[in-house]
Amino acid sequence: MLPLSLLNAALASTVLVELKNGDSYNGHLITCDAWMNIILKEVIFTSKDGDKFQKIPEIYIRGNTIKYLRIPDKIVDNVRIEQERAAQQGGFQKRSNDRNQRGKGGRDNRGRGDRNNKKRD
Amino acid sequence: MDKKREGQRGKSAQRGGHSNRGKGGKSNEPVKKKENILDLSKYTDKKIIVKYQGGRQVVGILKGYDLLQNLVLDETFEYVRDINDPSQYTDELRELGLVVTRGTAIILISPYDGQEDIANPFQE
Repeated sequence: MLPLSLLNAALASTVLVELKNGDSYNGHLITCDAWMNIILKEVIFTSKDGDKFQKIPEIYIRGNTIKYLRIPDKIVDNVRIEQERAAQQGGFQKRSNDRNQRGKGGRDNRGRGDRNNKKRD
Repeated sequence: MDKKREGQRGKSAQRGGHSNRGKGGKSNEPVKKKENILDLSKYTDKKIIVKYQGGRQVVGILKGYDLLQNLVLDETFEYVRDINDPSQYTDELRELGLVVTRGTAIILISPYDGQEDIANPFQE
């Protein structure tokens, strides 16, 4: 589970972003990019001390100022399930690839073939 | 003469190498270069609030920008902070006028219109 892929999965959901300076922003995640620059809409700003609150229609946040993002558990669960499914499918593909490679190895590289034969015995 | 020629050959060879490298770099650039996710054109001639690393915050009318998010702001005002407590903003504004601000120092951009102070929405 990569950070940016999780962030991509969280698009269109509500996230909490805390900046390095302690300010935090609650809003709908509209877009993000490879630098973790993000755009939020319908944002509620909370100051570092938690004494000031603001409603902001839209903000752009530079990725390098983000301390962390809180993402709904639902999203995390969905990604985990999807990944397991992908891993199963990927597993089958891998096995078939292995077979192909073994076949090639037998033809092209006798050394490997010998080793494989020894193992089988 | 010979020495000169050798020198020239050497140089031209180097140049060739450089230009090749340059081309390689250029051909890679468009792949790497991505359009900014924030389309600043929708904010041109509009009032925006910009926060900077270090805690400064300004409001100004966006007049121009570039790929690196360097901005040109007109009729800019900085929100003056409490001298004794820089985390607190006072009601005071400091006029800056027409400014160029550097993209790397920016941490946040938002439109000025539609912002409002509210009571704690997380209290129940």
